[in-house]
Amino acid sequence: METDSCHATDHAGNSSTKGASLRSSITGGRFVALVCILALCICAGAGGASAKSSRIASGITVFAGSSMTSVLPEIDPTNTYSFGSTGTLSTQIVNGAPADVLMGANTTTCAADYASGVTEKPVNFTRNTLEVVVPKSNPAGISSIYDLIKPGIKIDEAASTVPVGSYTVQVLNQMGINAAVQANVVSQETSDANVVAKVVTGQVDAGFVYLSDYVIDPTHLTLIKVPAWAQPKITYAMCVVTKSPNQAAAQAWVTKILSAGAQAIFVKDGFLPLTAPIPSIAKLAPMKAKAGATLTITGTNLTGTTSVTFQGVPAKFKVVSATKLTVTVPAKAKTGTITVTNPSGTATSATFTIA
Amino acid sequence: MTASITRAQLLSRSAKSGAALLVAGSALTSFAETASADALPVLDLAYARLLVGAELLASDFYSQAIAASVTNGTMTKYLKKAYLNEQEHYQSVAGIISGSLNTPAVSGDINFSYPDGTFATPASIVAFAAKLEGIVLGAYLGAIGGIQTNSFKIGLAEIAACEAQHSSYFATQMGGKAFSLSFLPALTIDEASNALDAYTA
Repeated sequence: METDSCHATDHAGNSSTKGASLRSSITGGRFVALVCILALCICAGAGGASAKSSRIASGITVFAGSSMTSVLPEIDPTNTYSFGSTGTLSTQIVNGAPADVLMGANTTTCAADYASGVTEKPVNFTRNTLEVVVPKSNPAGISSIYDLIKPGIKIDEAASTVPVGSYTVQVLNQMGINAAVQANVVSQETSDANVVAKVVTGQVDAGFVYLSDYVIDPTHLTLIKVPAWAQPKITYAMCVVTKSPNQAAAQAWVTKILSAGAQAIFVKDGFLPLTAPIPSIAKLAPMKAKAGATLTITGTNLTGTTSVTFQGVPAKFKVVSATKLTVTVPAKAKTGTITVTNPSGTATSATFTIA
Repeated sequence: MTASITRAQLLSRSAKSGAALLVAGSALTSFAETASADALPVLDLAYARLLVGAELLASDFYSQAIAASVTNGTMTKYLKKAYLNEQEHYQSVAGIISGSLNTPAVSGDINFSYPDGTFATPASIVAFAAKLEGIVLGAYLGAIGGIQTNSFKIGLAEIAACEAQHSSYFATQMGGKAFSLSFLPALTIDEASNALDAYTA
């Protein structure tokens, strides 16, 4: 198991470990944890006896996206971690790599693995944003993401086959500058950590990484914000591997990741807290009323409601509790479904009749 | 949208969207046709993306301001008219993007956020509307100066004139002057992006 674990690291996360080491040598606090990870791999690669005697990990085996190289050992240094591209790690699990939990930088990989029976049902656990980083010296004088379209700028990004690369393309398309920026891309990496490494060492003028990549090394990087209006929704999901022999421990890890303590560590390291869950509508009372009447909607996750509409007509509403809204039926409301929206999504009711 | 989209299809979609689109119809069709005829210059697409975002923000603001139901009948009427204008502007500018075989952002793609109390009183709504219209106007003026496709400029100028009317109306509602400067400031694409970003979650 140990050899297999490091085998996965060698192939999927080697560059991530290198990038993390570079960063940890600068940021100090995470150095010990990252050296421990490195030591695990070196020892396991050197031979079984040595690996066993040197191994400090006693927990489960976690395959995780490379953007979590620093944060996960902070939460629990006793696990064995393999960091790399989420898609590559998933493929390794499908091919039998002995992971207990997969933690991806997207929701689609775990969803696909769940659909094919490889993992248990995914659980979202954190979010991130995509940003641009430049070397502290900023030799290209970049002050805006729009500067990246200028001829001669050297840009590094992750390949579109890995989540951070996919998000990069989404942002650039949303801003309408993808073609121009791609003309300046001089290298594509297998992970965000590799992009960070090339920016820090000045091999490129700018790179696309996660906000969490910047937060763990602000001394050698300058952040160029990607506008919020162009941000993709970057949500991380984790899933327990169905064939894991450590189901109880794996489930306990999932619970631990969702705990307030672990979530606080994620936020400290530049990740974003989960948004409110998508609302649901269980009941309308009454089911028929005139314009101007007060309607009570009961359901779940209603606290963060941002709008209520009757067939597209906005309605005045009041949040009573997480399970109850009171709504004034708008003057131009028509018979049909009612929608309740929060930042995570929209719930649709049964047909409401205008009397 | 597909590569084979035609003027007839666009007009058909406009018709389905209601009479409101008649006002913006000329800009809509000319934007889309021009965009589909040639590959868009980089900045043209970038400006179109940004303006779509600005229009989505404006539409979202006005819809929430109307739903808040705190304004009197006259003000509510203007809010509704402004909301309709912004929706028409959105359709027009989105035509640049869809016409160039790209997909414009829609309301669910961007989460907007507003300062606390924005929709609490008529005064707070008017104050935000005045500020917002100033930003949107500046964005359009900047786009007119920055885009390279000349045939887009007249449509954008028509929209900018409408936004200037909005701005003037809300300025007077705040007790200010209907107009003052001879030359209103245009925002650079960075400035417009940052301004929009301030109201995006």
